Amino acid sequence: MLRFVLKRLAQALLIILASLTVVFLVVRVAPGDPAALILGASASPSDLADLRRELGLDEPLLSQYVTFLHGVLQGDFGSSWRLGGDALANVLDRLPATLQLSACALVVTLVVGFPLGVVSARRAGSWIDRLISVPTLLGQALPSFWVGVMLILIFSRTLDVLPATADGTVASLVLPSVTLALPFLGWLARLVRNGVLEELGKDYVRTARSKGVDSRVVFYRHVVRNMMIPVVTLLGLLVGNFIANAVIIEVVFAWPGVGSLMIDSITNRDYSVVQAAIMTITVAYVLLNLLVDFLYVKLDPRLNPEHMS
Amino acid sequence: MDNHTTTINRRRFLSIAGIGAASAFLASCGVAGGDAEKAKKALQVCFAQPITDLDPLSANTTVDEPALMARRLIFDTLVRRQGDAYAPALAKSWTRPDPQTWVFELRDDVTFHDGSKLTADDVVASIKKAISKTTNLSALWGSVKSAEATSPTTVTIRTDGPLGTLLVNLTLLFIPPGKRLDDPEFFRKPIGSGPFRVDSFAPSSKLRLVKADKYWGEAAKSPAIDLPYIPETSTAITSLLTGDVDAFWPVPPDQVRDVAGKSGVKVERVPSYVYFLNWFNCSRKPFTDPRVRRAMWHAVDIESIVRDLYGESAKVMDAPIPSTVFGAAPQQPYAYDPARARQLLAEAGLAGGFTTSMMWFATSGPLISQLAQSMIASWAKVGIKVEAQQVEKATWLERLNKLDWDMDLQTNTVTTGDADFTLGRLYTSKANRMGYHNPALDELLAKARGSSEQAERKTLYAQACKTIWDDAVGIFPATITTAYAVRDTVRGFTPVPSNQPDLSTVLMGG
Repeated sequence: MLRFVLKRLAQALLIILASLTVVFLVVRVAPGDPAALILGASASPSDLADLRRELGLDEPLLSQYVTFLHGVLQGDFGSSWRLGGDALANVLDRLPATLQLSACALVVTLVVGFPLGVVSARRAGSWIDRLISVPTLLGQALPSFWVGVMLILIFSRTLDVLPATADGTVASLVLPSVTLALPFLGWLARLVRNGVLEELGKDYVRTARSKGVDSRVVFYRHVVRNMMIPVVTLLGLLVGNFIANAVIIEVVFAWPGVGSLMIDSITNRDYSVVQAAIMTITVAYVLLNLLVDFLYVKLDPRLNPEHMS
Repeated sequence: MDNHTTTINRRRFLSIAGIGAASAFLASCGVAGGDAEKAKKALQVCFAQPITDLDPLSANTTVDEPALMARRLIFDTLVRRQGDAYAPALAKSWTRPDPQTWVFELRDDVTFHDGSKLTADDVVASIKKAISKTTNLSALWGSVKSAEATSPTTVTIRTDGPLGTLLVNLTLLFIPPGKRLDDPEFFRKPIGSGPFRVDSFAPSSKLRLVKADKYWGEAAKSPAIDLPYIPETSTAITSLLTGDVDAFWPVPPDQVRDVAGKSGVKVERVPSYVYFLNWFNCSRKPFTDPRVRRAMWHAVDIESIVRDLYGESAKVMDAPIPSTVFGAAPQQPYAYDPARARQLLAEAGLAGGFTTSMMWFATSGPLISQLAQSMIASWAKVGIKVEAQQVEKATWLERLNKLDWDMDLQTNTVTTGDADFTLGRLYTSKANRMGYHNPALDELLAKARGSSEQAERKTLYAQACKTIWDDAVGIFPATITTAYAVRDTVRGFTPVPSNQPDLSTVLMGG
């Protein structure tokens, strides 16, 4: 087990290092000079040269990379030229808002998606199954930013029942979390539905039924409970996706999270913040998946590496 | 098999996970309640661009409109602009014993929000930083040689040659406590001496200001102001219509109809210091020939294009800077005359037309792509083929600075409201922004910068306007009229050309 943990941890570190390197290169390969963006359209060439030197942008790429990694190892991503202050601190300031949004979206997804999937499976092929599958498919197909704008138009501008932007109230969480949850909600419902149907065909179900156990008991006590294992292990993936999707949603709803910060920083070539933000998201994603791997093994002993081989 | 143990583990795990998720959800939702109650009483004001930084001398935001508006509420300046003249602020009075020396006498009753006194040392520290640090205002401070606190309430500034624009520049120099200028953490929640103090600040997201306990000037009307940034325009407009936001500007021309005439909201329009320009790269053929540049202008029906695209949201220009700017002088418009354009091209040896390109970035100004396409279509009619190059902002800036373009369409802002800021900075041979070199113009602009006689400066800038216009250094299509959408309950909100209304006079009414 220890070897498994160590191996996983080593893989996680490699993934983080690789993503750091890719981000470092991509932001620098993209056209555009941060010094020009900082000083604006009216900067003189000598001012630009001065600033490039101050920012260390005149150094060769490799030496910039070494300086960068050296800083990262000490938790220092440099300072943000656009927002002032430490880049990582800027990102961490915004992280709670994104986590809050993701947590609410997760609750919406589970509370709505799971039962929908179960009901669909229970009544597979019926009108209620079809009634559920059409909107869930739509939810997956529609682009989130468009859904967000539409929800604002309907529930804020026309009906005026919910606020369009983060104003600190619980109500302001509703529209963004629903928008964020919608594609995954349909995804989860279909996953649960198909999983349950597959489970229903298994031997233990037939055995239970042949013993004369009430079909509802078989369904809810055995089948549905067995379906929870893959769902729990999907949580990590879901939260990771929520954080990634939040980038667009946050802009639409003016949500003060990491996503809107990242868009702003990319447009303005605020390298240090982009790097700190990607790093934060990568670490969150990797940690969640690591946790899921361990949970999976814990929940389903058949997957324990010691039992395999 | 240890099937039994597994079941217990799984059960326990699920219940723990469930409780954890539920409590996290409740906790996250619960935190916000009290804030919302407090926020309701504060004025909610939304400018369409983010406030990224409160450091008045940060490299990139010294001329940022939303940042300047916020800084005016938090900090003070030595002087303030009042029409074409300058009014005392931190400085009670000033004298100019010789053309290169300025002496400012400061008020002695000004304190920062923490109660400490504002002295000449604080002013000197800011001036010294403005001179030494590379910012997008560096050009304005180039000829200031030294600043000295000659007494606790006296500041003496010496310049390298006469600098008539010093007072204008000082309207952009905010005075934080001198000892904290180089502490980036300080500017996360700075203190100043202005009518509002910072309650909280999330860069690029929200600034919350609270009325200062005591202010030397006229006290702020509103107890608190929230300045949220809402990146998506339709979201901002929705918030305004539902009353979550009390004022929003600039409303883009194509979205004014979403707010105009709606109950509880009024729209006010004011011509701004923001205008469109289409520069010719005068160092690149065929734009080295002024006849070609004039031909380009005659080929475009600016008046119809601007009217059709913008309606009331823009005004055709009659000078290379907006008419509300000090130093703007009206010129003879270039008539729409394709025949004249063809004739000028023939004179320049280009009777068969030519191929060139025009670059812009999409967020530079409202409907800029449509404006570009309209102009390009007009040029096609006289045989000039223009390649449309819509590029990303970062790419645009890089090419602009390298003079790597044929034509550049963009908006520009005369931040100080004074011609020196735009003409004096951009049109000299030394600045070399559009490859135009004219020693006579250089001399005019230098003279205008040196003089502190407003009447004399006005005459000099009028001549500069004429030169730039007649030589068609660029086409100057339109000044943008800012549309402010304000809720009926708001009192004392006065739209201004700088796009930075004074929020200290604003109050929520009944």
